[in-house]
Amino acid sequence: MSIFVVGYYTLLLAASCLAAYFNKRTWFLLVFSLTLVSFILGIVGGASMLRGVATAAGMLALAAMVAYAFREFLIAIASNDMAKELRTAPLTAAFGMFVIFTYAIAGIFAPWIAPFGEAEVISTAFAVADADMLLGADQLGRDMFSRIIYGARNTVALALAGTVMAFVLGALAGLLAATTGGWFDQVLGRTSDVIMSIPSLIFALLMLSIFGGALANSTTSFWLMFGFAMVTGLLVVVAKAENNVLSWLVGLAILVGVSTGFSLGMLTIFNPSEVILILVVGVIYSPRVFRLTRAVAGNVVVMDYIEAAKLRGEGKWYLIRREILPNSTAPLIAEFGLEFCFVFLLVAGLSFLGLGIQPPTADWGSMVRENATLISFGDITPLIPAAAIALLTVAVNFVVDWMLHRSSGLKD
Amino acid sequence: MGDILTLVGKRLGIGLFILLVISVIIFFMVELLPGDIAQAVLGQGATEENLAALRKEMGLDKPAIVRYLEWLGGAVTLDFGNSIVTDERVTTLIGQRFMNTLFLAAYAAVIAVPLAIVLGVLVALLRYTVFDRVANVATLTSISSPEFFLGYILILYFSVNWGMFPAIASLSQNMTLPELLHRTFLPALTLVLVVTAHMMRMTRAAIINLLASPYIEMARLKGTPPWKVIVRHALPNAWAPIINVVALNLAYLITGVVLVEVVFVYPGIGQALVDSVSKRDFPVVQACCLIFAATFILLNLAADVGAILTNPRLRHPK
Amino acid sequence: MTKVKDQILIDRLADAAREGKVSRRSFMNYSMAAGLTASAATGLWTTQAKAAPSRGGTFRLGSHDGNTGDTHDPGTYVTYSMIMLIHTFRSYLTLIEPDGSLGPDVATEWSATPDAKEWTFKLNDKATFHSGAKVTANDVVASLNHHRGESSTSAAKALLSDVVDIVDNGDNSITVTLGSGNADLPWLMTDYHFAICPANDDGSLNWQSGDGCGPYRLVETEFGVQYSLVRHDDWHLEGAYFDEVVITVLNDPNARQTALVTGDVDAITQLELKTLSLLQRDPNIEIDNVPSAAAITMPMMCDTAPFDNVDVRNAMKLSMNRQEIIDKITFNTATMGNDFQHSPAMPYWPDDIPQREYDPEQAKALLAKAGAEGISVEIKVADSVFSGAVDMCILYAEQAKAAGINITVNRVPSDGYYSDVWLKDPWCVVQWGARPTPDVMYSLAYKDDAAWNESRWQNERFNELLLQAKSELDNDKRAEMYREMAMLARDDGGTLIPFFPNFVYARRKNVRHGPDLAASWQVDGARGASRWWFEG
Repeated sequence: MSIFVVGYYTLLLAASCLAAYFNKRTWFLLVFSLTLVSFILGIVGGASMLRGVATAAGMLALAAMVAYAFREFLIAIASNDMAKELRTAPLTAAFGMFVIFTYAIAGIFAPWIAPFGEAEVISTAFAVADADMLLGADQLGRDMFSRIIYGARNTVALALAGTVMAFVLGALAGLLAATTGGWFDQVLGRTSDVIMSIPSLIFALLMLSIFGGALANSTTSFWLMFGFAMVTGLLVVVAKAENNVLSWLVGLAILVGVSTGFSLGMLTIFNPSEVILILVVGVIYSPRVFRLTRAVAGNVVVMDYIEAAKLRGEGKWYLIRREILPNSTAPLIAEFGLEFCFVFLLVAGLSFLGLGIQPPTADWGSMVRENATLISFGDITPLIPAAAIALLTVAVNFVVDWMLHRSSGLKD
Repeated sequence: MGDILTLVGKRLGIGLFILLVISVIIFFMVELLPGDIAQAVLGQGATEENLAALRKEMGLDKPAIVRYLEWLGGAVTLDFGNSIVTDERVTTLIGQRFMNTLFLAAYAAVIAVPLAIVLGVLVALLRYTVFDRVANVATLTSISSPEFFLGYILILYFSVNWGMFPAIASLSQNMTLPELLHRTFLPALTLVLVVTAHMMRMTRAAIINLLASPYIEMARLKGTPPWKVIVRHALPNAWAPIINVVALNLAYLITGVVLVEVVFVYPGIGQALVDSVSKRDFPVVQACCLIFAATFILLNLAADVGAILTNPRLRHPK
Repeated sequence: MTKVKDQILIDRLADAAREGKVSRRSFMNYSMAAGLTASAATGLWTTQAKAAPSRGGTFRLGSHDGNTGDTHDPGTYVTYSMIMLIHTFRSYLTLIEPDGSLGPDVATEWSATPDAKEWTFKLNDKATFHSGAKVTANDVVASLNHHRGESSTSAAKALLSDVVDIVDNGDNSITVTLGSGNADLPWLMTDYHFAICPANDDGSLNWQSGDGCGPYRLVETEFGVQYSLVRHDDWHLEGAYFDEVVITVLNDPNARQTALVTGDVDAITQLELKTLSLLQRDPNIEIDNVPSAAAITMPMMCDTAPFDNVDVRNAMKLSMNRQEIIDKITFNTATMGNDFQHSPAMPYWPDDIPQREYDPEQAKALLAKAGAEGISVEIKVADSVFSGAVDMCILYAEQAKAAGINITVNRVPSDGYYSDVWLKDPWCVVQWGARPTPDVMYSLAYKDDAAWNESRWQNERFNELLLQAKSELDNDKRAEMYREMAMLARDDGGTLIPFFPNFVYARRKNVRHGPDLAASWQVDGARGASRWWFEG
């Protein structure tokens, strides 16, 4: 019986008694059931198991405290309306926001936060962690911590861009198809079927092999991006202009301008091969979003209030924006949270095939892949970037859960 | 019911058209790939002279469009031709592998789909409790790692450390079903982990989305217990998006498992597809892609029919 | 007291010999140091190391690099798993022995005219195909002709381009006539494409049946997946101790290693070097680390700016820290390169050429001389070239910064790398398989008009020496010529050679092999199945 074990049980029992005394029913149940479980674990696994439980509980408590403090911080700096909303956020959502916030800071200020450059070789291969290198070194002797920080910037920016593009295109097309119906619906539906019917990894392999080699230059990627923006914009124009020739012309003119600006903007942020990667992600995922939106919106358009709005003579754009979209956001948001993380995985899978982000640029997916075999010997090097991805995914989905709850209008 | 049959007929017709479009796209994508089949077959050892000889032998000297039409001519009579590289029938080359893939997909689906839907309903019922959080964190974490990495971790524990399941899922002819299930358990489990989260979260989202609707409110005010509200009132209306996601994931189980096959050395169709792409073996690529596409189209059709059957409003459009 | 100690040492040596951990030469040295007489040591060696092979068991080998599109056509053999398979079920005229010398296979002896233009191979009477038919001179002629002539699609065509005629002498021997002398022709016959298959009546080759005259007979074939074989009892050579052999394609490095650790296979090819030190800790596994004649090259095109200037080329060679690359990329399983493609594992290796060291200062000076300070160049590389290829370039790019050289690493898709990048882009990374002799290597990739002259290097003296050395039957003179050629390639050539990778593969402890391992392919020259055995 070490001091640790004695202290452990004393603390738990004292906490249960206090909770019972102050009539905190849930707290009491939680703490006391933990005590009971600990008895069993203590017998089976000994002190080391209890130490594990204590560490896990401590980490959870730490996360909860961080989340609580962060929520209060946000409430303190936000405007009144925002603060009111934020108060409803559960701790998990606050934790999610905290993680996203941290990642954003890490990504934006990567060059100032990271102690070393992302390609800088500073030690021997797989050097262990020390005061200079918080997470040790990778296979070339580069600082793991710095690469994780830079990875936040490269990976998240790319995944976010790809997912957002897929969503804008897919959701717009889906909503428009649902409202318009008829042959338009059919054409879009079948086009998306064609793209989806080709397995994504093979599709990406083919597309990147064709465009990723000699064709990965600024001109090609500009035109591809321009084409993508035009297609997306065209959907907006179709919805807004209806059958008015003049608005078609005006819409198209604006569209060309916006698309050019957008494509040039993308090219200044990303390099040509990354732009192509983003496009591939956009093209592969937009049909999935389309199908989902089409299904959800399909259920909404048969509602009576849509019928009513149609009879009022409202245009398509109005229907989409004011009636259908608000009533189908929830599944879309949930989908966004997941697709966002699928994009990381697609990029990792592509780097398995020798495509994807160019080295030495740090990217979490490739960092997992490069050292993946080490896991078979119980070495945790590949777990670090994998954990970075997992943490972000969980965080994003926590926030998504909260937004889902709010948009569903549930009060409990 | 007659409406649905017409719809199915129409959709099958469209499906055939989609297959045609895909075969064109695949053909020209393979054509656009850098290098050609002769170079891929001879590898580093290729010189101009023997490349030309090999191209001639393989019939690559004909224009692309002629080769496509020849292939199409065979395909409409269900003759998918011979592999250019090995000169074997495409059907014998991939037939057994496709059965293997279907087996693995079915194995994973039988576990994953009920699990995901039951979990989804449960977490919707117990939303914002510890159970909800734990289920979410666990499933989300499992889909956040690349699937090959998940496979490695499972191999480390289940076969290297504990020796419960074999690390390699290679098959032999005379295996009994229990042996087969035991041998392919780890790849199936990897796939279950990969697809469960998506379906579960979608079920949860679709149900929660409906909980504020007036008729649910009504049911609740009547005093219906929460589980009954969800199972009897919310779930039937949430089927459409759920079925969609299930169909998507089933298709993924068949078409997207290349990496799992590589990690567990499972002789499925995905590996054959990747190999044939790298060899530019167009008839095999084409056959694999068409099988995938057909699977996908059928599953989608099933999902759409399912969505209509479960939503009376869609069954009787105004 | 000393006597006891010696006995311990002798016991240990005997164990080492039995487990194949020590070569005969070191065994003799240590044994004599331990107080044994030479004859006693020889006796011990024979009883411990040579008597050990026992017959029986199923040898399961996990090989990397297999493709569903593999075939039995010897002209298009390309994947590593096929190379493992063919050496198990087919035979060649000659073979490379574990100690690196040339030995007999289907040919029992061979001789040449003094100008090395006419070679006669006498065939083994005992050699039979698995179908039962005798291996005839006609079969051998057809097997070689498969790689010659207008309509041949063989990848080995270039190797036989100099052959004028191959004739069946009628007395179970064949004669190969060359356009110009080649002292290395018997070595050339070990190339994995020149497998002996039965001939059809019209003189063409019947490779489709999967028949061969090697140590094992194919029973089940599933290309890119698995091959099972049983012993061919009438095999014409010594060995083939296993009753059955199963070769499984395990493309994923992790799958290979776990299969070996869990005992699902008995031996595997190509270890992942990153995990080498971790795998070594497993007491059930033995790792074989064999210096090879394979090479990693980085050819700079000598006719393309900026590499058309010899000072720039040499500056590039000087700004690579090879030791760090060997430490970090190969985890010390490589022989350092010295910018000429002639590895210590090949005959005639010149051992007195000074090693080129990492010297950014001198590189800077050379660049200044060429007027190219702060030069920017791009190198293309694909993951598939070798495990760690992209990492190597990144590390090199970091090292070259010290010489003011800015190297951009461009990772391109693995798919189509050798058709799209190699021989087309001014600078890339290439892996070369092991070639038996320097002549084969230089003729393939350094001769001025060679199709694969990857660095487009033209050096008159070098080409002159290459021709002379080819037909020179005097070994000393020949070695001297290869030394001069090596110096030319090192100081004027366009190929940067970071290292010669070792073959690193592994087996379970109960799999035993002889004292030496052939350096031509992994798993004892791809002949582990016929040379190795299970501990009795």
